[in-house]
Amino acid sequence: MLKSTTPTVVGSETKAKTKHRTFSLNAKDKYYAVLFLGPSLLILSVFVFYPMLRTLYISMFLTNTLGKTTVFNGLGNYTDLLGSPEYIASLGSTLVYVFAVTVLTVGIGLLLANLASKRLPGIGIFRTLYSVTMGVSVSVAAIFWLFIFNPSTGFFALLSNMLGLPVLNWLTDPTMAMWAVIITTVWMNLGFTFLILLGAISAVPTTLYEAASIEGASERRQFFKITVPMISPTLFFVSTITLIEGFKSFGLIDLITKGGPTNSTNMLVYRIYKDAFYSGNYAQASSEAIILTVIIAFFTFLQFKFLEKRVNY
Amino acid sequence: MNKRLKNSLISLALIIAAVLVGIFTTNKPVKSSSSSDRTQIVFWHELGGASEDALEEVVNGFNKSQSKYEVVPKYQGSYDEAIQKILQTHGTSTSPAVFQAFDIATAQMIHSKYTTPVQNFIDKDPSFDIEKIAPAARSFYSNGGKQQAMPFNTSQPVLYYNASLLKKYKITPPPVSPTYSDITRVAQQLYERSGHKTKGMTVQIYGWLLEQATTNAGTALANNNNGHTGIPTAIDMDNPSTVKFLEWIHENIKSGDFINYGSGASAGANQTAGFLAEKVGIFIQSSASIGELTANNKDKLGITYFPHPDGQKANGVSIGGAALWISNDKPKAVQQGAYEFAKYALSPAVQAQWQKSTGYLALNKDSQKEKILKDLYAKNPEAKVPGQQLADAKPNYVNSGILLEGMQVTRQLEEVAMEESYNGGDIHKALKKATKNVNQNITISNRANGYK
Repeated sequence: MLKSTTPTVVGSETKAKTKHRTFSLNAKDKYYAVLFLGPSLLILSVFVFYPMLRTLYISMFLTNTLGKTTVFNGLGNYTDLLGSPEYIASLGSTLVYVFAVTVLTVGIGLLLANLASKRLPGIGIFRTLYSVTMGVSVSVAAIFWLFIFNPSTGFFALLSNMLGLPVLNWLTDPTMAMWAVIITTVWMNLGFTFLILLGAISAVPTTLYEAASIEGASERRQFFKITVPMISPTLFFVSTITLIEGFKSFGLIDLITKGGPTNSTNMLVYRIYKDAFYSGNYAQASSEAIILTVIIAFFTFLQFKFLEKRVNY
Repeated sequence: MNKRLKNSLISLALIIAAVLVGIFTTNKPVKSSSSSDRTQIVFWHELGGASEDALEEVVNGFNKSQSKYEVVPKYQGSYDEAIQKILQTHGTSTSPAVFQAFDIATAQMIHSKYTTPVQNFIDKDPSFDIEKIAPAARSFYSNGGKQQAMPFNTSQPVLYYNASLLKKYKITPPPVSPTYSDITRVAQQLYERSGHKTKGMTVQIYGWLLEQATTNAGTALANNNNGHTGIPTAIDMDNPSTVKFLEWIHENIKSGDFINYGSGASAGANQTAGFLAEKVGIFIQSSASIGELTANNKDKLGITYFPHPDGQKANGVSIGGAALWISNDKPKAVQQGAYEFAKYALSPAVQAQWQKSTGYLALNKDSQKEKILKDLYAKNPEAKVPGQQLADAKPNYVNSGILLEGMQVTRQLEEVAMEESYNGGDIHKALKKATKNVNQNITISNRANGYK
């Protein structure tokens, strides 16, 4: 991906330029700078920076029933949260969920993309089928999966009954509920991931495979030694996107488990929503939002730092 | 693509977007020419589906019954979210004149001081007899001897059973006010005699049911008489009544006749589906489900009172549902109009029709004389049961609701305790943990609100 390499290069260039320009910024330049940057800065300030700073401010207070800040609490909200086993459990389940979703989405997506990249008659049907979940909305997917998970009349229950197996409590058992949400999310994400990876695999020059075949390399070896390294920028992009999306996951959780059972799927974002708009505890929700921002920033940084090094551009 | 074409395409797209936004987000109510001189009463509510249709009928009826006011109903999503919207828009031009707020937000609404108690209007209105309204519903929304809000859509938790299956397997149905062991007996017999094809019973993981079980056993969860004589400073969930309730469920889980559908809206839908498909014979749910359970049921529906522990009398459960509140940020004429609407909504004929179309209980005693309800009872005698349970309850502090702010969080924590206990955890441990967490929230909330 071009995008991920450019920041360092462009960044250093602009730095040099601005350093050079600061001394020679004439009135006309200033005029244009304000003209071009002004509107976007204004919009960003109103809709991004102000809410962010406001969230930070609220997170240091207690809020009353009316949602107004009343008592200054310093870092009290943060220490309360980090000292609460429920919040730590929520953090843990979010990490499990995000990790599982990222690995499974990228893994299965890669497998399907590799299969669908083969030039075979009728492969178009499979390409369409594998990417079809892109066109499914979250609510439709949730309802569809809820039908499947229903312990009395659902597809899985009927299947288990037919085979004489015990019926699994998909949505009432804490561990199973986590799996239910993971499966649904992976299913939802798969279409997009598949399509992006298929595009990347198709762009790998066929000459490489031809040369490898002549050398006698097996399909498996070709996959790991040619396909994976050649599409590594795309893999990096897809895994970053999936990871961040995983942290921000909301719709499916709201529709399938509402954070239950026993808070086992009460992920960080869902928790923020519930604390703010169900319970009206804006102070606590704001602190959670700040913590989540730090966590996402940290993981994105880690990915750029370590994964990017392994990327073959 | 050349630049000009691209630019014109972009501007075209922007224009279409602007037009679409204009069409679909018009916030103004559609006015009919005849109503332009009427005072507009904006009414926020949270009823969806069939109940929303029934509510619109009530509103239309009111608008036709007089020419001074026009009520404009606006759906606001779930009960929980609506409360936040109401609190956050108060004092602005978008805030409602009259709104529906659910049972557990009562303390929040009273303490917000954003509303005018309906008592103020009732006192000036000799034509309205508040004594006609069911006492248990009235006491739930009154404080300091004043009627704070007008009880509106009101339900009772009742126990539903599959009467046809009980008859098929020759099982004696549970009595009118059953004890826990009465229900256990029926559940176990049903499970055994159906050859394990039908589970005996389920109790949804729903904080409301845990509160009702505790209430029916005569125990107040929060101190200061459930908040009716002062702001609560602590609750105690690890009390004998709540423990007995969870022990009863444990007993049924152990004997295999219990099925757990979990928590949340999906649990509600799943257990209803399970009940209608004869997968489970007994469950507890709001009386508002009667319509759904009779319309789509090939079996005969049985209904009885909420169960209570053995060896004691039932204290009576409290009501569920929501009430109509009048905002105090609107001019006097608007507030008066809001009151007139609430009064109309509680008139005998409207309440009778309301019960028939929604399953919520008719709160006006005179509704029972209406033909609509007489016909309904002639067709489905069991539809009478929730109303009788409501009439039987003698209001006291325990069964008039918990006047505690932050009931939404409390419910979530109650549900966690129920889940832990259903999944085999120690009952005392689960309840102690929930108590500790709820009390921590109460302390913080009281501090933030400046309550001593």
